[in-house]
Amino acid sequence: MSMLRQTVKPVSVIVIISMLFVVVPYQSCLAALIGTETVIETARGRQARQQVKQILDRQELQKALKAQGVSAQEAKARVDALSDAEAVRLVEKLDQLPAGGDGLGAVIGAALVVFIVLLITDILGYTDVFTFVKKRHVR
Amino acid sequence: MSVRGPGFGSEPDGRPWGTGRADRIIFLLIVHLMLAGCSGALHRQWVDAGANLPARCQLDSAPFWPQKAFQCGPAALAMALTWSGISADPDTLAPEVFTASRKGSLQSAMIGSARRHGRVAYPVSDPETLLAEVCAGHPVIVLQNLGLSWRPIWHYALVVGYDANEGIVILHSGVTAYKRVSIKVFEKTWARSDYWGLLVLPPARLPATAAEDAYICAVLGIEKAGQWQAAVEGYKNALTRWPDNLAAHMGLGNSYYGLGDIESAETALRAATLRFPTRGSTFNNLAHILWTQGRQQAALDAARRAVELGGPLANVYRETLEKIQAGVDGERPCR
Repeated sequence: MSMLRQTVKPVSVIVIISMLFVVVPYQSCLAALIGTETVIETARGRQARQQVKQILDRQELQKALKAQGVSAQEAKARVDALSDAEAVRLVEKLDQLPAGGDGLGAVIGAALVVFIVLLITDILGYTDVFTFVKKRHVR
Repeated sequence: MSVRGPGFGSEPDGRPWGTGRADRIIFLLIVHLMLAGCSGALHRQWVDAGANLPARCQLDSAPFWPQKAFQCGPAALAMALTWSGISADPDTLAPEVFTASRKGSLQSAMIGSARRHGRVAYPVSDPETLLAEVCAGHPVIVLQNLGLSWRPIWHYALVVGYDANEGIVILHSGVTAYKRVSIKVFEKTWARSDYWGLLVLPPARLPATAAEDAYICAVLGIEKAGQWQAAVEGYKNALTRWPDNLAAHMGLGNSYYGLGDIESAETALRAATLRFPTRGSTFNNLAHILWTQGRQQAALDAARRAVELGGPLANVYRETLEKIQAGVDGERPCR
């Protein structure tokens, strides 16, 4: 346990120092000009979120995107194009969100029972997987 | 009977089905087959949605790209962006939206990519808005689950028309241009994404169904993406419809500042202080702009006014004032 503490301590000191470098100059820059997003959030009666938390959320989101195989530069660009509110929502459930890909491959690899179920639901008009199924037109 | 509520593919408690419960699936299929004739209530909302619209609308101005495997996101976005006046094709967009490990494109990446090209990404989330926008000549990207909730096949398509008499929606989808899909099928596949839809518009064009807050947030997204010129146009456009929107005034000033057009930023923020003489934030940002221009005294006056007015951001105003009072030469505010 004490060994763990000995290892962790210098690491946390380094983290704290590097956080200061990251956060402090950024904060002093932003302090003067009030961002449009802050105006919107304040108008909605919400307290402006802590800047540090926002930065961390964005970093976490970038990391999560990189873990999904997106390059570092591209991950940053994708996160930068989101508002804070969007970034927070996304960081909480990146893994569960759908990624539209139209994977017919997913069906080809599926078990026969899935194929049959999707075929029947296609015919019934519940799904739209197979182009060869003529859909019923119900008014 | 309404088929809405817990979708066909999930149990009422939302737990996904396992594939091992085939017997149950088949039983429910039979039940649904028996009840299929009762699903008329479903179309009520589509009929209501189209009540004040023409019976049919079709856009011919949206180009079509057949998608490659798993690349429906880039394809749908390329069609929408090209329609909006940006030259784009699926291959060049793929790096911006496609996530290889997910074999698909996340909605946030689609939104972000539209913004990075200086386009307003405006959400559409119900049939009424969808039909109204299509009728206004705006194609809408939709996310569908073509499969079932426990076996999802997520897919992006571009809605380019509908025909109420025939009961169809017209899509650029997959490898098919002007694909005609029955409203019944489309409703089910679209509902599984909670009716997720996206307009991609030039910033000078308002959505037909534009709501104030949603539109301002959409323009904010362009500003966030650093597309200052487009953000300027978007905020100007918003101000023609909602001249009393504080965020749009501030956003206009901030975007001009981002663009490096300090004079226009000053003009915009001055206009904001006149329209909102009791809001400290307008004076705070004006002070910041004046300070950037080296006009210490004018900056001081504006900063003092902001501090006098106070409000939830009062601590920021005080910081601005202190900085300007300190007046350190050579220290310029940064972004």
